[in-house]
Amino acid sequence: MNSLWIFPGQGGQSASMLQGVDADLRTHVEDLLGLKLQDTDEAYQDSVQLQVGIELLQVAQIDAMFKAGLRPHLVAGHSLGVFAAAYALGSLQKDDLFRTVKRRAELMQGAYPSGYGMGVIVGLSRSEVEKLVARVHSTAHPVYASNQNAEDQTALSGELDAIAQVVALAKQNGAARALRLKVPVPSHSPLMTEVSTQLAAAMSAVELTKPNGIYLANYSGRAVRQVAPILEDLTANLKYPVYFEAMMGVARDYQPDSIVNFAPGQPFRKVLAQKFGDLHQINLNQMSVSDAAFLLNKWERGSY
Amino acid sequence: MSEERNWATHREAKARKLAAISSLLDGKIAQTKDAKTLLEGLIAPGDKVVLEGDNQKQASFLSKTLAAVDPEKINNLHMIMSSISRPEHLDIFEDGIASKMDFSFAGPQSTRVSQMIADGTLKVGDIHTYLELYARLYVDLIPNVVLVAADKVDHEGNLYTGNNTEETPVIVEAAAFHDGIVIVQANEIVDKVPRVDIPSDWVDVVIPADEPYQLEPLFTRDPQNINELQILMGMMAIRGIYEKHNVQSVNHGVGFNTAAIELLLPTYGEQLGLKGKIVPNWEVNPTPTLIPAIESGWVKSIHSFGGEVGMEKYIAARPDVFFVGPDGSMRSNRAFGQMAGQYALDMFVGSTLQIDQYGNSSTVTNGRLSGFGGAPNMGSNPTGRRHSTPAWQSLRPDNDPLGKGQKLVVQMVETFGSNKRPVFVDSLDAVKVREEAKLANVPIMIYSEDTTHIVTEEGIAYLYKTDSMAERQAAIEAIAGVTPVGLRSNPDTVKDLRARGIVAFPEDIGVNRNQATRSLLAAQNMEDLVKWSKGLYNPPAKFRSWS
Repeated sequence: MNSLWIFPGQGGQSASMLQGVDADLRTHVEDLLGLKLQDTDEAYQDSVQLQVGIELLQVAQIDAMFKAGLRPHLVAGHSLGVFAAAYALGSLQKDDLFRTVKRRAELMQGAYPSGYGMGVIVGLSRSEVEKLVARVHSTAHPVYASNQNAEDQTALSGELDAIAQVVALAKQNGAARALRLKVPVPSHSPLMTEVSTQLAAAMSAVELTKPNGIYLANYSGRAVRQVAPILEDLTANLKYPVYFEAMMGVARDYQPDSIVNFAPGQPFRKVLAQKFGDLHQINLNQMSVSDAAFLLNKWERGSY
Repeated sequence: MSEERNWATHREAKARKLAAISSLLDGKIAQTKDAKTLLEGLIAPGDKVVLEGDNQKQASFLSKTLAAVDPEKINNLHMIMSSISRPEHLDIFEDGIASKMDFSFAGPQSTRVSQMIADGTLKVGDIHTYLELYARLYVDLIPNVVLVAADKVDHEGNLYTGNNTEETPVIVEAAAFHDGIVIVQANEIVDKVPRVDIPSDWVDVVIPADEPYQLEPLFTRDPQNINELQILMGMMAIRGIYEKHNVQSVNHGVGFNTAAIELLLPTYGEQLGLKGKIVPNWEVNPTPTLIPAIESGWVKSIHSFGGEVGMEKYIAARPDVFFVGPDGSMRSNRAFGQMAGQYALDMFVGSTLQIDQYGNSSTVTNGRLSGFGGAPNMGSNPTGRRHSTPAWQSLRPDNDPLGKGQKLVVQMVETFGSNKRPVFVDSLDAVKVREEAKLANVPIMIYSEDTTHIVTEEGIAYLYKTDSMAERQAAIEAIAGVTPVGLRSNPDTVKDLRARGIVAFPEDIGVNRNQATRSLLAAQNMEDLVKWSKGLYNPPAKFRSWS
């Protein structure tokens, strides 16, 4: 099976999403981190609860897929999802993953207590968005073009007032949609440089191994097979845009025969439809791993 | 007196390399497990290496083996490849095994190619058409080593390449007669090959592959996916171009537009009484959608660039039409096919992703450097042509005593592509890609000056009849629908262009839009094609919806 596994970041979480997670794994993670996971909407307002929760869900799904004999050929994480992606290729070990993600969440939580966040513009090209951003951005009121999730969908990251100005300009200039997102941190922008540096220090003792598959890197949109760019992605992707659209473009060149979308949520429908047409897809937020395994095996046998 | 010069340095170097690995060979036949050792022994750093791969057939065992060699031993290769198709074709650049690439087509790897050029991981010599690249193998890109694929090889080293002979001969010949080393992967070693496609004395080493070479059914189009706009456009093309110009010989590109035409000949063409009058002779791959036209007697001959998976038995049973050896399998040849396509055909009909306001077209779009296949050879007017045919002559300008005819080059596009973006644009993405990739030329697939007709769902623009660029632009605008280019069209100008026969709408050429329904296709689906073929066509699994 030449499968592309995709791991979303924050946004699709919901209360009780950890219900199906292997109990031993959950206990292990809670003991490891000294953290009780609440799995409630209220708890998910907290960065640590949220990030560790999402990664626990993804790791549990990966382990179940492994147990069913399934492995990815290509992996793509989006933002937080990079940790699960590196784990799925055997590059990052489980305990290292959870310790790092907890640290990442703590660093992000403390970085910008108020007045900063993200937005999104749909219907303009990246170069058009960059021009608008350049008109607003200043050292005092920073705003940056951030994640590229589809060809005509560019995120903004920075100070909320500056984002509001770019959003207004985008509407005047023909954007189909432009709005602020409910994200309390200016992720994936140079404003996260300090957080990245501290995260890199926290990861200095972590040993990554050579991935057994192709890793699609957020910060460059490139397909990589070496440890160094994966480490860069895990520690520093917060200070760069996620070039998700480019990642999917490259993934297509590897001609995957199926896509597995890990939970939570299902945020990439648009770009996946553009890049892959009607390629077989599994959505693990809607289906159990055993159903997924049944379908993937059936498709591999060629009985459609 | 100076010392006598050694005129056989290449030959001696080759002999030394072959001697060093001779213990691994039985005659010319090696063992699968020694493949990596053999490549490490026979390829030197900096060598010019041809790795066989086009848009259909891939020397996939040798490309995987090359990607696994030790970059300490083999590095900085100059690769020469018709098509960059497989991920490992680019992995060798990331790992330093190769550094420079001369190629034609990169469609399946076009995003990575763009990125690696931007990163400096891949240095591009140049982007070529197929014919140019083959030609340079004999001039300034003479290979040190060629890696090719064969179906069957006998114990002497004679190669059978059968239906998929494609470009193997042109690659092997360039090395074999200039002391290059010819390494072949074989699907199977046999006592006797069905026929000799390449004689053993052109071959140095044969390695049995771990699995058959990769082969793509690239020219198979399921009739089920042909829509009614494409049928309308096909009807317009048959009336307004094939019939009007009395076209006798043609190449069709890969696409549903041309598949529609193939399936309309036995129905719509028959109704128009055109059978026996148009397109008896074809240079085209054995595309399954031609089966109904062949079976109903429209097609007299087909020469092919390559084979097509599943068509083998059908071809073998129709030797009057196809080029078939005494063994019963087709012989294809991409180099001769390209030559025929350029010099012997009345018409090329293709499609593209973008056409600019002047009529230049390209398949290169932002972030994707797809290169060219055969379309620029097919889709150009060979000014070296001297023989005349009625279609060629029909494009001759009447105001020039030394005037001559012109090849018909037809682009068929729907005004909006499958991605919902306009096909007609003010400026091609290729212009920007040229800057990003630092190319000498903008990667245009077919130039405006060579494009004689454009067909859209709106109508036909007869560009060859225009006598100024302004008029050419107006003709394009008239058929460009509601794209930004089309919205500039002026109703009075369009009326004038229609009156002068420079633009034709369906009603101008007697095409009834209401007739453009799927029921007009000679085959509705793959199963119908199998029936037409009397059970001889055997579609690949992915095209089977029944069992």
